[in-house]
Amino acid sequence: LAAPPSPPGQDPQGWRAPVDCVRANELCAAEPSCSSRYRTLRQCLAGRDRNTMLANKECQAALEVLQESPLYDCRCKRGMKKELQCLQIYWSIHLGLTEGEEFYEASPYEPVTSRLSDIFRLASIFSGMDPATNSKSNHCLDAAKACNLNDNCKRLRSGYISTCSKEISATEHCSRRKCHKALRQFFDRVPSEYTYRLLFCSCKDQACAERRRQTIVPSCSYEDKHKPNCLELRNVCRADHLCRSRLADFHANCQASFQSLTSCPADNYQACLGSYAGLIGFDMTPNYVDASTTSITISPWCSCKGSGNLEEECEKFLRDFTENPCLRNAIQAFGNGTDVNLTP
Amino acid sequence: NRMKRARARHKPCALKELEVSVSELGLGYESDETVLFRYCSGTCDTAVRNYDLSLKSVRSKRRIRKEKVRARPCCRPLSYDDDVSFLDAYNRYYTVNELSAKECGCV
Repeated sequence: LAAPPSPPGQDPQGWRAPVDCVRANELCAAEPSCSSRYRTLRQCLAGRDRNTMLANKECQAALEVLQESPLYDCRCKRGMKKELQCLQIYWSIHLGLTEGEEFYEASPYEPVTSRLSDIFRLASIFSGMDPATNSKSNHCLDAAKACNLNDNCKRLRSGYISTCSKEISATEHCSRRKCHKALRQFFDRVPSEYTYRLLFCSCKDQACAERRRQTIVPSCSYEDKHKPNCLELRNVCRADHLCRSRLADFHANCQASFQSLTSCPADNYQACLGSYAGLIGFDMTPNYVDASTTSITISPWCSCKGSGNLEEECEKFLRDFTENPCLRNAIQAFGNGTDVNLTP
Repeated sequence: NRMKRARARHKPCALKELEVSVSELGLGYESDETVLFRYCSGTCDTAVRNYDLSLKSVRSKRRIRKEKVRARPCCRPLSYDDDVSFLDAYNRYYTVNELSAKECGCV
């Protein structure tokens, strides 16, 4: 890629092309003033103590200058090359900008523009699968079939299933770390026509709903001996750049809104389902809590016990999973094969 | 038509595939999940070596009598596909290896 004549931050029209943070970092490195400020900021943040950092004048000055640089509004793409590096750059700027710990954080990912209807179109081309014709159809079983008949999906599905169900020793029944990694590979590398069908299939009976619940091998990837407090779990997640980003993305795309017909931001179901799937394989891995066919309840593996004076905040956090009309509508819409018709 | 059928039966050794349920595999698993089963099928007439001709001749002269020998090449998998995992009827996951052929040849 040839370098543009002037860095995007100094475009005369004030217009900035959206750049990813890895690229923005390269542009910054080419500019002596930007790169020295960025180095300063990174040193400020290396202390990991936000308050000291904010009190330091030099750090503040560096932050102010960097807000004018391409680094300031750069974004990352899910599953991109160097995703972790991109997110590290993103948070190095944004962690310094926020006022303390916020309940909802801005997503470092580019907004999703595709819709569910695009997936349905692709799915019908790809599979040519029998739709719900027979009376005892099990959509989750059909989804497994569609995956097994596709070499890439089959390989990565078998990959996580065998990893997640491999016993390590008498005391350790699986390697959660390896299981999560294999799950992330599956959801990052297999097209959503396959992964969503497995994850969000609609069910009429319990056998189907149990199969749906089992999709991510919850005994290894989800359940644990100890059920932590949700805010504690959120802190664990926020300590990791990837988990923090996926959680922020979930909040940005699945946050229930009362202004839209579907309860979803911009009526975009696809964006919500995508960021839900993006949480699988991290500390905040969500799943169906039971095999109920009538009501869908989703939750991460945590509870609000022991919240103390933060009970309300904890409940609010948990409700974004358990009682979220946007997420529920999106899952149901996918299961029914419907999407909102947008008037252009 | 008979010619057509005869020719079909004498296709050279190649990989073929079939959609089968896990239960149908006869490995003792109970699952309605469908998997792609790839197998080797076809003739190996063109792969006959001097070895095969000689072995046949030596055997017909009753120089080999008690041993079991095979005097013609056989269409078999040269390599197997990756593992296949599935959920059974009791909600347990299983992984089976070397279930499906990946490449066939006359050996």
